[in-house]
Parts: sequence; structure tokens; C-alpha cells
Amino acid sequence: MLLPARTAVLNFLYGVESADIAQIMGALKSEYGSERQFTKDRYMDHVMSLEANGLVSLQSYDLDEKGDLRMRYSINDEGKSTVDKYVDKKYRNHK
Amino acid sequence: MTEARKKFKRIGVTTGLISGLMYGLYTTFVLIAGYYKPLAGAVGIFAAPYVTSGLNDLFAGIWLTVYNIKTGRIREIGRSLKLFPGKIILLGSLVGGPIASGAYLMGLAMAGAYAIPISAMYILFGALFARIFLKQKIVPRVGIGMLICVVGAIVINWVRPEGSSNFTLGIICAFVAAVGWALEGVLAAYGSAMLDTDVVINIRQLLSGIVDLIVILPIVGGMGLLKGTLFSLPPIAWLIVSGLCAAISYLCWYKSNSTVGCAMGMSLNITYAFWGVLFCILFIKQPVTPTIIIGSIIIIIGAVLVSVDPFELLNKKED
Repeated sequence: MLLPARTAVLNFLYGVESADIAQIMGALKSEYGSERQFTKDRYMDHVMSLEANGLVSLQSYDLDEKGDLRMRYSINDEGKSTVDKYVDKKYRNHK
Repeated sequence: MTEARKKFKRIGVTTGLISGLMYGLYTTFVLIAGYYKPLAGAVGIFAAPYVTSGLNDLFAGIWLTVYNIKTGRIREIGRSLKLFPGKIILLGSLVGGPIASGAYLMGLAMAGAYAIPISAMYILFGALFARIFLKQKIVPRVGIGMLICVVGAIVINWVRPEGSSNFTLGIICAFVAAVGWALEGVLAAYGSAMLDTDVVINIRQLLSGIVDLIVILPIVGGMGLLKGTLFSLPPIAWLIVSGLCAAISYLCWYKSNSTVGCAMGMSLNITYAFWGVLFCILFIKQPVTPTIIIGSIIIIIGAVLVSVDPFELLNKKED
């Protein structure tokens, strides 16, 4: 069984230094891409809620080539310890 | 960037206010459902509140299930429950649903609209539990807000409404609801940090409705009343609508909490005490007495003071 989508976002961020929404969705597409919940708005909601809960931090932002806001997020210590505690090792994509 | 952040904050404030309004409507519709037979005049203090509470939560759960199917998230329920935080959500749901929401409806049945502002004191108990379990200090503003809440509760109970034999018991039930919701808040905050809150609420309402109807009702001898209610259209129709209001209220509340923070989210949510009392006066002929009006206002002021610093709020507005 897959992880809940929001948990999967947090778990993915553990394995990379930072990522924007498009990169997160690109990485999770093979597993979640066929589901109706796989939308940019929903993933924006996931990272902003994880930020509000103090598990990830906004690292930088700029405008992409289309002029849309692009925000890069990275996992923080609280987020890492949450993944260590609650996500089974078989799901981890970090060393 | 500032524009994007402002937009998110606006959404948070709007959803917070909608959550309060919807909770006020849910409260009123549940009370209206209770005026129809067979709920009206049902024997015992437990059966009718648990039939209404159980059916309301079950319908709210069904509305939320439809919403999550439509948005492609139904599989998230099983995925969330497999994790430990999902199991904490189950525990929070049991405390907040069958215990707190059940007690809230018992309080409403016995003390009428007087129970509403008392239950809004869940913010006060939330701050107390944060002090005990999370070792958070109670700053003077919060302490003063708590005292104001207590004064409001005393004012509300100063004059008993006429013809209400179980008034004090009803108020005690409303206190039980406040304590239960505060505990649920602590457990939900812990459990939902890495989960989709729209899915978490779906689990909460379904579990609460099922436990109320399948576990508690047989114990309190309410299965006959449940059967009678299911075959009676007016109360069921009102409970389907109240379930929708409860579902929207919880969706908006959690959305607000994760957008503008729990403190402001809670203070916007407890405006339900104002709406609840107002709707009860407008729609179900709740007698208007000075004690219920003054007490409600005092409790709302105290509860807002507990959850948010008015000076900070004004400064933020100026920013």
C-alpha cells in the first residue's frame, strides 16, 4: 500500500536538498499520477500545510519561465524526525 | 510573493468564519430535528441525543466520503489509518465524537442554547491541556481570557430558565463536551501534521457516527428510537442538512488552522457560539434573556483573548 500523499511529499523531501512543486510531482508521478487528487493545487496545499505544521521550510522562491510563482521547500529537523518515527523503512528514499 | 501569502491568509480567515457560521447552523438544525416525533418526547436523557448525534455524524461522514471520492482521495483513508498518526486520529475521534459531541447534544437537549457558549470554552481547556501535556506557558493574556470565560459561564448560569428540570446537568454535559473537544484538538494536532486533513475529518465523522449508532445506542437502549427516526422523514431530512453543515464546518476549520494557524483558526471558529445563540433565538424561539446575551458575549470575548493577541492582530493588519 502507498503512503498517504502528504506523507509521501514529506518522505520525498527527506531524500533531496530542496524541491519545488513541479519536481515533487514529477518524482511522485509514477505512483500517484493516475489518481484524481494528483493536481498542482492539491500539492501546493500539501507543502503549505506541512510548512504550517513546522515540518518543512520555504527555502527560496522565484518566477518560472511562464511568470508563475515557484517555491522551493526543504525538510527541517522536525520533519526528519517525524519521518524517522512514523514512516516504515521500506518507503524511505534517503540513505 | 506577498500577494500569494496574503491570498492564503484571506482564505484562512474566510474559511475560519464559515466554519463558525456552519457550526451555528448545524447546532440549530440538530435542535430542530429533535422537535419532531419520535425524537420529541423520547424517554431517557441518552437515547435522543445519541440518535441525533450518531445520524448527524454518519451523514457528515457520508457527505465527506462523496467529496473525497469526487476529489480522488478515497484510497487515502486506508493509507492514513495504516500509519501510527492515523491511529491517534481514531483515538481523537472517539473522544471528540461519541464522548464530546454526544455530551454537547445532551447539553443542548437539557439546557437549550445555554449549552452553546459553555461548550465554546473548549479553547480554555485546550490552553490548559497545552500547559499540562505540552508544557506551554500560560501568558497573562491567556490567563485573563480564561478568567473572563469563567465569569461568562457564571453569568449564563445565574438565572435558570423556567421549566427546565435538568438545566444544571445540561450545563455539566456542555462542560464535558468542552473538555472532550480540547483533548480531541490535542490528539488531532498530533496526528494530522503529516496527513491530509480533508481525509482525517472524513475518518473522524464516519467513526463517530458508526460508534454512536452501533456501540452506544444499544447500551443506552436507543435502537427502537433509531428505527423510528429512520422511518420518519422530517427529522432525517434536517439531520442530512445538519450533517452537511457539520462537514463543511470541519473542512473549513481545518483548512483555516493550517493556513492562518491554530490560534486564529480557533478564535474564528468559536464565533459559532454567537451564531448558534442567534439562530436559536430567530428560528426555534429560544427565549431572549439578559443572562444568555451578556454571558455569550463575555465568553466569546474571553475565548478570543485566549486564542489570539488583539494587539498583534492589529499590528499585522497595519503591516
